[in-house]
Amino acid sequence: MGMDRREFIKSCSLVAVMGLLFGCRKIPLEELAGDLPSLKRFEDEVKLALSQAKKSLDLVKIPTPGALKIPGASTLNRFGMAIDLDACDGCGKCILACNLENNVPLVPDEDAARGRFMHWVDMRGSAPFMCAHCGNAPCERVCPTGAANHTPDGLSAMMYKRCTGSRFCGANCPVQARKFNFNDAQKLGLARQFNREVPLRDKGVMEKCSLCLHRLQNDRLDFKTKLTVGATTADAEWRGRGVKTACAEACPKNAIIFGNWLDEKSPLVKLSKNRELYAPRELADLDPSVVFMRGRR
Amino acid sequence: MFKYLMLAGLALFLPGLYALGYSIFEGPSAWMVDSRTFWGTPISLFVFWIGLAHAGTLLSAIFLALDIKLDRRTALIAELSTLVCLVFAGIFPLMHLGVVENFYMVMPLLDARGNFANVGSPLVWDFCCIAVYALLSLVFFMTHLKTREIPALDKYRKPMAWLLFPLVLWVHTVVSLDFATAFVPEWCGAFFPVYFIAGAIFSGLALMNLLLCSEGYRVRLLERLQLIFSWFMCAIWVWDLMLKGSLCTSAFIFAGVLPQFRMIAVIRENKWGRIALSLSVLIGLFLERLYIVSPEFGSYAASPLNWIDWGLIAFSVGGFVLLFFGIRRYLSWKMEGAGSYFGEVDGTDLADAEQQELEKEGARGIEKPKKGFYIQPWASEEYHVLRLPLLVGFAIALVYSIWVLSQSVFANVEFSFANIVPLLYPVIALVTTVTLYLRAYFVEHAFTLHRHEKWMAAILLVLVAACAGTFFAGGSSQNSTNTIDSQSIGVDAPISQSHARLLWNARCATCHGVKGNFNEKFVREFYPVPQKLDVQRLDSLGADSLVKVILNGRANMNAYAGRLTPEEAHGLVNYMYSLAKEGEK
Repeated sequence: MGMDRREFIKSCSLVAVMGLLFGCRKIPLEELAGDLPSLKRFEDEVKLALSQAKKSLDLVKIPTPGALKIPGASTLNRFGMAIDLDACDGCGKCILACNLENNVPLVPDEDAARGRFMHWVDMRGSAPFMCAHCGNAPCERVCPTGAANHTPDGLSAMMYKRCTGSRFCGANCPVQARKFNFNDAQKLGLARQFNREVPLRDKGVMEKCSLCLHRLQNDRLDFKTKLTVGATTADAEWRGRGVKTACAEACPKNAIIFGNWLDEKSPLVKLSKNRELYAPRELADLDPSVVFMRGRR
Repeated sequence: MFKYLMLAGLALFLPGLYALGYSIFEGPSAWMVDSRTFWGTPISLFVFWIGLAHAGTLLSAIFLALDIKLDRRTALIAELSTLVCLVFAGIFPLMHLGVVENFYMVMPLLDARGNFANVGSPLVWDFCCIAVYALLSLVFFMTHLKTREIPALDKYRKPMAWLLFPLVLWVHTVVSLDFATAFVPEWCGAFFPVYFIAGAIFSGLALMNLLLCSEGYRVRLLERLQLIFSWFMCAIWVWDLMLKGSLCTSAFIFAGVLPQFRMIAVIRENKWGRIALSLSVLIGLFLERLYIVSPEFGSYAASPLNWIDWGLIAFSVGGFVLLFFGIRRYLSWKMEGAGSYFGEVDGTDLADAEQQELEKEGARGIEKPKKGFYIQPWASEEYHVLRLPLLVGFAIALVYSIWVLSQSVFANVEFSFANIVPLLYPVIALVTTVTLYLRAYFVEHAFTLHRHEKWMAAILLVLVAACAGTFFAGGSSQNSTNTIDSQSIGVDAPISQSHARLLWNARCATCHGVKGNFNEKFVREFYPVPQKLDVQRLDSLGADSLVKVILNGRANMNAYAGRLTPEEAHGLVNYMYSLAKEGEK
């Protein structure tokens, strides 16, 4: 079989080009299809979390949350939630809704087996349990970089890009409401951006319930815009009316009520009237914004 | 002897280095961390090594300050062990971070980022205090080394010892506050500082006795102290058991029960027996640190430590042995050539020193009182040396406190006096030491430096400056008081377009870009990332609310109320419109 030099070089370079193309195939493919986790995997993980949930929750009575005492706090807004223990049946729909709203990633199997989920909403004592956005938050006090901070509206907020992952806040949270990104969920194919408004978190930062901060911000912008064009004159102050968190929206029994503790017209204040408010024993002294309620209706 | 020890250290260090690299690459999930505790082995190792680091200088300084004679070699070994331990204590809190490359955000070094580190966090206190402690320990060690060449320097050792004595206690208290201010029930308690300090001295004594074994001699005083501290630790453990019902049994056996075998003469008089006693104390105290940091240790999985944990332990132990004996060997070979740079140990050294001291003080006209006599503090020699520098130190600390008190509250983080109390003594100690040595060099001409030593001193001064920078927690920034209200602000005629462009390029372009297209490198630090400049968005926000944002600030945007007039702000908004329109073309 005859092959001259030209042919030989040609075929060699062809093989090299094909090899190069073969090596590159992954990048465009990943961009097109990706190996994003299916929705079913998220549902399965919620089921697993429900089956592993802690059964007990030690509650004590607390007074109605008032205005925040931290410097710079708003006197008009303090957002929070009340979870109606008489209505809640522990179905876990709030967990899935939260995961999809806030792009909460899945965890690897070994972490799931140890109960180390990323879920912002846990099930404890067969009721949803999330960060209580304490007015006197111990996690913010120890954060060395100020990544965990309090907004004037009473949210315990988190600046992901400022977090160095010292995990001091997690160690100082008495109810372990903070979750740490031990894994690079994006690289492991465990994260999926269902909601474009919430960024995916990097490996090595803390995260937790944000009380659907982006929804509040959208509403605030909307209000401002209307104010400038004069579409609304009803009242001049933004009170976050009409906003609902994803979990509150998803609850079939309306057991999660979101609102503004300082606004008389807020559903939260209306529905929690004449009810007994409770908080986990560890948080009772920390002025929580997310509370449980029970008793007379 | 040192060579073999170094080889053994190297054998531990290299595989440990691999584990360190792997765990930095893999992040905190590499080592044992369960859902309840977030820290694990690196922080246990940090507490362990920082404890050892405090003990060396503490022993040397306390003994010197209290007039208990410790021979030169023992004291130098103690001080050197402190420095080497600090190196490893410093590595662990850095490598345990989730985002290692962001470590600089913990230190409030100047206000380069335009944002506060949270001065209320014990981690920030840690950073400042340990930095000062490391520097002053280095100075103390260097002074001691140099006294052989320049005996006049000996005058400054005792004042330094008096400065370091409280500093060590202070810094270790701050380390214990990392835990004691937290909400974990096992960590709560005002006894934590005492507990930590006792543990630190205990482990440091054990390390000293171990190192002395490698030198081939012993100091009975230190051995007796080790025994006494084991009783003290036992008392604390029993108290903790009765109070909270928690006890780390293995630590109790290793560090509480086994050291009692010193009372048996056969073990005590045998070198290997002494090594075993000290090792058992060190192992016991490490187990105890592990238990403190992760209270669920041992109750979780069959094997609580994986290979990474073992690797990290090997890294620090091997690294310590390698570095310590490396420096030890270098110093005796380079400086003396006869291996006796660190001094003799057969007692002649001590007797000589005492005799010399007596003569010196006689020559200086100071009457040496007999042992046991009370010397008035104000009449003592070290007070005379320390008087002026200490005054400067206190004055600077006072100025610092006043500056802090005048700072306004920023971003809901209270920059209150209570938050900087832990920093006050380190400030005093740092300033006093610098003043002391600057005066000794420039005014009193007490010592001269070789050329390479001058370089070292310059580097030290730079480090001191950096250290001082960590106390500076940012300039004045105004708290954002941005609330939404409908009242429009009275805006007069805006300024001209060209003036606005000048203002924009001077004030705004650093972040927002010359054409409003954002300085990406700067802006990616923030979340939520600000929106791009476009006409639609500007319309939706409204001109006068933008003016308010420029004047009062909002989230990460600084307030410019004092620096821009409302007219100028309005002009800037107009300029933004023109930029946005240009961008859309």
